[in-house]
Amino acid sequence: MLFNSVEFPIFLLVVLFTYWLIPKKWFQWQNALILGASYFFYGWWNWQFLALIFFSSATDFIVANKLGKTTKDKTRTLLIWTSLVVNLGILVYFKYSNFFIESFVDLMQTVGLNFNFASLNIILPVGISFYTFQTLSYTIDVYRGDMEPSKNPINFFAYVSFFPQLVAGPIERASDLVPQFEKARKFNTELGADGLRQIIWGLFKKVLIADNLAPIVEKVFDGYETMPPIILFIGVTLFSIQIYCDFSGYSDIAIGTARLFGFELNQNFRFPFFSKNVTEFWRRWHISLSNWLRDYLFIPLSIQFRSLGIKGIILAMMLTFILCGLWHGARWTFIVFGFWQGVILTYEFLSAKKRGKIKKRMNKNLYNAISLILTFVFWKTSMILFRADNLHHAWAYFSSLISFDLFQFSMKDILAVMDPLDLLKFLIFIPFMLLMEILQREKLHGLEITNYKWYTKLILYSIIAISILLFTPIESADFIYFQF
Amino acid sequence: MDKAEILKKLNDIFINTLDNADIVLKMETTAADIEEWDSLRHIMLVVEIEKTMKTKFTSKEITKFKNVGDIVNSIEAKK
Repeated sequence: MLFNSVEFPIFLLVVLFTYWLIPKKWFQWQNALILGASYFFYGWWNWQFLALIFFSSATDFIVANKLGKTTKDKTRTLLIWTSLVVNLGILVYFKYSNFFIESFVDLMQTVGLNFNFASLNIILPVGISFYTFQTLSYTIDVYRGDMEPSKNPINFFAYVSFFPQLVAGPIERASDLVPQFEKARKFNTELGADGLRQIIWGLFKKVLIADNLAPIVEKVFDGYETMPPIILFIGVTLFSIQIYCDFSGYSDIAIGTARLFGFELNQNFRFPFFSKNVTEFWRRWHISLSNWLRDYLFIPLSIQFRSLGIKGIILAMMLTFILCGLWHGARWTFIVFGFWQGVILTYEFLSAKKRGKIKKRMNKNLYNAISLILTFVFWKTSMILFRADNLHHAWAYFSSLISFDLFQFSMKDILAVMDPLDLLKFLIFIPFMLLMEILQREKLHGLEITNYKWYTKLILYSIIAISILLFTPIESADFIYFQF
Repeated sequence: MDKAEILKKLNDIFINTLDNADIVLKMETTAADIEEWDSLRHIMLVVEIEKTMKTKFTSKEITKFKNVGDIVNSIEAKK
């Protein structure tokens, strides 16, 4: 069930109303309702997916409880490996089997051996990369002694499947979310109202910006061979904005929905387009994934490799980002995307002192402006890899873009890919979204406007409501991150 | 070597590794208090501390360090 579908508001209202009807001293029943609703929400896609999430949750519930009861190193190691093998096994089988088979066949062909492997008929369960990472963090934390195992299966199963963030995050740590299931939640009008504002802001970014941009970006990426460089430049810029609005829009709706139920989820985006370097960008973009990779992959790897000094840190960083790329999808474009991020982060790590000296010598505002632009240009360029169908497509797009003709701007070319109304919409909505996010950059989301005057609020709500009513595309698109 | 001496040595390592002469460590200082102390530089600090103090931490110890005091206590326990 999609957040931007017709069914979702009905589902949400029924669940929310029933939830708050249950007296708070019976909060366990509220948890049971969340669990039932979450399985219903997930089963709406495909009932067969439920078996998988149940199996993953049950394994980790049992493993963690056994970990809590034993101090024997051998048993503990066996238990954590059980959790790792089951969760990563599910993920690898469903997400990467065909990729590995196809890559193997391709490799064999390059050395002259022909294999005839048919691709496996596997459906990728929605959100699998998100909930397997979430439940893995739980067993690892229990193994490390950072948290106690959850005693109540309903609380734990509800944590793994909590529908607001089940299919595309934020990837919540058990230590943050499970305790919220273990105590009564109070209905808080202010929190609920701000949750609603955050949902509206998320919908604004998703249905008005991302969904309107989607067909134009598709047109440019599909027909890139006949497009002038300036259109390719605009196409990838619009895709960067589309993916940000799509994914951060989803996160805003998820966090806002959770708040309606009295839960606080972690901020997943902190206005990344205002980053002054790529390292900072990754601290602001998909924060729950970056933090997961830092804590469970980069830090353990860099500790293992530390005898190699700086080289060990770079190795750990490169491996982390290659796997980060692969997490996004079973394609070589994502692996190269991750590798490319790793290269730039390595450069930033090694040049930090030098850049610090340049910063001291230059005008601060000029330095910041250049840094901001360079970071966005880098991100935008790597978005070609993110959007392209394969490496050949990405390279062809990139090489067509790099040309002296790039500076030949013609209105006719732009109007060939979008009609004047589309152009007008983007010229209004995108700067409006960016302006709101600049003004709100210290807040949790773009529409946290509690301190604004009542008439400013009224104007803003009216603009957003009328725009959503008038300009929502008839065909709503899936959220891009669902496929990951 | 007592805690105060270890803390003083750590202070020098932090200043050099993080390239910030203004750092004044206390037992309760955490990564949140020092801008340059991120996950990348944390490992560099560990490497430098192990080299200078001629000690070796276990992986478990490193992941459990929550503040400077934890590092000082761990070094003191090994001496």
